[in-house]
Amino acid sequence: MLFNSIGYLFFLPATVLFYYLIPFRWRWALLLAASYFFYLLWRVEFVLVLMTATAVSWFAARQMGRLPDKRQRVKYLVSVIVVNLGMLVFFKYLGFFTAVVNQLAGIAGKGTMLPLYSLLVPVGISFYTFQTIGYTLDVYRGILKPEKNIGIYALFVSFFPLVLAGPIERGRRLLPQFQVEHKFDPLLFSSGLRLILWGLFKKIVIADRLSIFVQAIYSEPGYFHGVETGLGIVLMLMQVYADFSGYTDIAIGSARLMGFRLSPNFNRPFSARSVADFWSRWHISLTTWLRDYVYFSLPAKFHGKVVKWRLNINLLLTFVLVGFWHGPYWNFIIFGLLQGTYMVLANISRPLMTGFNHISGLEKSPSLLKWLNIAATFLLISSSGFFFGQHALGDSWLMIRNLSDFSHTGTAVMELIKNVDLLAGIALIVFMLWFEYQVAERSFASKFMGKHIVIRFAAYLLMVMFILAMGVFSSQKFFYFQF
Amino acid sequence: MSANKTFFLKLALLLILALILNEALNLAYDRWMYYFRLARNQDEQFATVPDTLKYLMLGNSHNRVNPEILGNGFCYITPKESYRQTWYKLKYILTKTTKRPANVLLSIDPVNFGPKAETDRSFDGYWRKYLDYGELAMEHHDPGYLLNWVSGTFFSYVGNYKYSFMSLLFFNADMKKIKYGYFPARNYKNFAREPNRDQLGYFVASAYLAGYVGRSVICENEYYRRILALCRQYRIHLILLRMPLTDEYLKYARKIVNLDKLDRQIVEFTGRYSTDFEVFDFRNEFHGRPDYFFNADHINPAGAAIISNKIKDEIERKKR
Repeated sequence: MLFNSIGYLFFLPATVLFYYLIPFRWRWALLLAASYFFYLLWRVEFVLVLMTATAVSWFAARQMGRLPDKRQRVKYLVSVIVVNLGMLVFFKYLGFFTAVVNQLAGIAGKGTMLPLYSLLVPVGISFYTFQTIGYTLDVYRGILKPEKNIGIYALFVSFFPLVLAGPIERGRRLLPQFQVEHKFDPLLFSSGLRLILWGLFKKIVIADRLSIFVQAIYSEPGYFHGVETGLGIVLMLMQVYADFSGYTDIAIGSARLMGFRLSPNFNRPFSARSVADFWSRWHISLTTWLRDYVYFSLPAKFHGKVVKWRLNINLLLTFVLVGFWHGPYWNFIIFGLLQGTYMVLANISRPLMTGFNHISGLEKSPSLLKWLNIAATFLLISSSGFFFGQHALGDSWLMIRNLSDFSHTGTAVMELIKNVDLLAGIALIVFMLWFEYQVAERSFASKFMGKHIVIRFAAYLLMVMFILAMGVFSSQKFFYFQF
Repeated sequence: MSANKTFFLKLALLLILALILNEALNLAYDRWMYYFRLARNQDEQFATVPDTLKYLMLGNSHNRVNPEILGNGFCYITPKESYRQTWYKLKYILTKTTKRPANVLLSIDPVNFGPKAETDRSFDGYWRKYLDYGELAMEHHDPGYLLNWVSGTFFSYVGNYKYSFMSLLFFNADMKKIKYGYFPARNYKNFAREPNRDQLGYFVASAYLAGYVGRSVICENEYYRRILALCRQYRIHLILLRMPLTDEYLKYARKIVNLDKLDRQIVEFTGRYSTDFEVFDFRNEFHGRPDYFFNADHINPAGAAIISNKIKDEIERKKR
């Protein structure tokens, strides 16, 4: 079931209504049943994978909870990593690895060694695998007590607002919320509704509108050049943002209707002043997960001392993993490698840049420096957009080559100007960024709530009608479901 | 009053206001949408034509044949019409009215048999008069058809912003220009003046024909079969038209689908269910003449006049 489907329009209110009507002690069971129903509508077989990941991590954590010594717990931790990560690798990456082995065998003149696999990837597996492993690691490290009730733990893994595409929650944050009774809170409830509305606006009105243009550019890279390719790459980034942050807003909003508070996943990433800053604002639940469980676990010392070059290598490795997490394609590996390289270069050149800012006088114009940094970060992030997508590596190179071909600029600009949907999409992006700035920096929410009820109602109605009238209703899946 | 009660009252009020506003927009769209106005105007005109109608043009905007040129004809085409919709409309005409057309003119372009034509469910606000959505849902095991009825009845404007803007632009359009159901082809641009004709040809061909890729049997359309059966039952002669397409469109269409094979399959398939039909092929009629087109796959008024006359000549030649 999609958040932007008619089915969800009935499913969510029904679930919320029953949630508040039944006694607290049965609420977890209701949510668990609803979450499994929500999930099995994709494919019944996928539920088996979800149940296995849940059962293995719950059982291992329970066993670890009984053992005081960390060394004794290792085997359970390893079993979870082997089984849950193994399932992720099996479904998502096996085809990629067998293709690589075959390519290497081909180079060595041994022909095809392994049969090629192409399995249907269970939706949300990348998200809930990380969630179960994070939970197990927390129990292993002794910072979280294992959940006794397998039902509540299963709900933690399968909770319908987050099972398909996150946010990747931590046990410490979400599990206690299932243990306490949530009384109906009108303020939280209405904030949830507003967030759902805003998420739908971003998904249906902005992302799906942009996807028409972006898909054309990415599916036929040979047909577009210069301005069109450049615009396509920038708009792809905006489309992914509107799509994924829209999804997250609906997820967080849906959870709020029942009194749950999920982790934020975005924090105005396009106001980032460096690539590192960008990644602290984009898909926060994934980057913090990788920081806490991967980056911090990698060895940083050399001859007993923390050394910068090791930290930089760790950073690079972590971002290759960020890229690879998105999908079994070389594109994504290069994407991650580029992000990591940008950050390592920024680390290395920091004294140089500080000196340059001092000599050039930019230091004295913090506002100009801020905007230059924002623009440079945006360009760097956009530049990796060539590789962000499930397309052949050759297409990425073709796009890079065509980007510098401005021979069709006149015709292209004329066509772009005639594309009303595209122009509307660009105007809506500006509105989205402006609005999110107002919310984050100008206390829009509190100012808005202070307005007269007629103004608030008019604003809500305008938004609903705008989504209905101006939305692109082509039942497009959320972009991050493919990951 | 408790805070919760106040909240729910406000929420209920907001919902009621949203429903009222939705119904107002739905009614306005249903009343003024340009294509609805055209189609309903055709419906009104069709009610006044003689029962012994000679030529009835059915299908979508590709089938632009002027009934005034043919004589004693009626053009009942609507935008984006699929064979499914055509079948329901023809069934309605034959079973619920006293009209009995002697000939039905139907286009058999590649787009008509493409999967996109079948999945397109536009304009339910108009089609709910003809389509039996319950029957469709049962036949296809697809409750989505019921949603189509719901959206056509209560939310016809939803997602149709392009048609809303178009309807505003054509708000003062003169419906008296419609004669015998025929409204002149679009003419506000000319394909010959497009600087990127090749690219446009590619985009239109790939957008509408991409679904053909990987299909071996390409023309077996159930509703096309039902149209053939209906025509046979009511002894209606079928004139199947291959309408002109631009060179640019054809260049890419041929790369996607084997047009010769498709044409052969259509004729063979038609022969299985009909004994009274003929095919008029004008597909390459405007080879090297982009000036007779509005866009890559639609002729303009000048092109439509030529084709209508050619159809008339062909019919008369065959009579002799």
